[in-house]
Amino acid sequence: MGSDYLDLRAETISGGDVSQDSLYQEAADAYGSSLDRLARAYEFDPEARRDLLQDIHLHLWRSFANFDRRCSVRTWVYRIAHNVATGHVMRQRRIRSRLVSIESIEGMPGSDRGELAVSQNEALERLSMLIQRLKPLDRQIIVSYLEGMDASSIGEITGLSPANIAMKVHRIKNVLRRWFGEGGLHAE
Amino acid sequence: MPSEFPMNDPQNIWQNQPKEPFKMSLNEIRGKAQQRQRKARLAALQSIALGLLVCIFFAWIFARANDVLPRVGVGLLSLAGLNIAYQAYRWIWPGSLAPDATVSTSLEFYRSELERSRDYGLHIWRRAGLTFCFLGLAMVVLPGLIKSLDTPRLMLNFVPVLVLLGIWLAIFFPMRKRRLRKLQQEIDELRVFERESRS
Repeated sequence: MGSDYLDLRAETISGGDVSQDSLYQEAADAYGSSLDRLARAYEFDPEARRDLLQDIHLHLWRSFANFDRRCSVRTWVYRIAHNVATGHVMRQRRIRSRLVSIESIEGMPGSDRGELAVSQNEALERLSMLIQRLKPLDRQIIVSYLEGMDASSIGEITGLSPANIAMKVHRIKNVLRRWFGEGGLHAE
Repeated sequence: MPSEFPMNDPQNIWQNQPKEPFKMSLNEIRGKAQQRQRKARLAALQSIALGLLVCIFFAWIFARANDVLPRVGVGLLSLAGLNIAYQAYRWIWPGSLAPDATVSTSLEFYRSELERSRDYGLHIWRRAGLTFCFLGLAMVVLPGLIKSLDTPRLMLNFVPVLVLLGIWLAIFFPMRKRRLRKLQQEIDELRVFERESRS
């Protein structure tokens, strides 16, 4: 079941016709994998990640009681998930104090630059490491970008202007190019 | 095993990462969410119930006391209990943020919650009614204490109260100071964090 179906359905329902349970269930079916990846962007430890994912689902279920259709289901799901995950990071002062912006990473000389990962796992680990160094807002933008969203969708989720998003995405692309190389190399 | 994804395409790597299936049923989610909500409410209600209990207890003593001054003192203690319950409701009851708020809003919200806690601690004499509490206590204890000046043996009856009060003061103020310092530190850190996130 695609996100378009959900958005269309949310558009057509009248308040209270579709229950909180069914909205949650459909959102979980459509965005379950994305939420799983989002949790990975915020928590490295597998045990803590499971707790975070559970927390996201709990909040999501609760939130559908107040879903007013002023935004798409996808935007709603991502906003809630990012908020829960941001809260999770913000409560960890030790981690919070070490987070940097995408601009800082862009200007940082790093040994990782330009070296291609040899396996998908290594590449994923490297990507996760990069994401988890970022501050919540930048993290939200990079995760949305990696999920394949366009600037206007990212703007809806983050509340930033399209110009701001475009600039951030440009920087993210620069950083990713440096961290992952370019030229379309494939693993043998 | 050869990978099917280009190692330099982060979007592909990200979207095709191995999945860790989420195994909670809708019933479990619903149950857990309700349980958590109950827990949060219970924690806030405990403070309110404590204040009300103090209020009722002293109101009961107030109804039975004969002497005017202790009676006024006990009445003040009863009102202080009521004030504790009200202030706990007003300041400790968790606020609610729109669930779909954007990140900058949620950071502000988190900071404002910390500021609320700090303000409560900072003005605890007024907000928790400690001034009324001590005034009431003085009105209850002092007449008896003055009477016992003629018979020092009677003064021994007040020793437990005074010792307990001393211990409470010795523990309460350093703890409050430490807590306020930690809260302020966290608020300052969050302010810097918000400023940097916006830039």
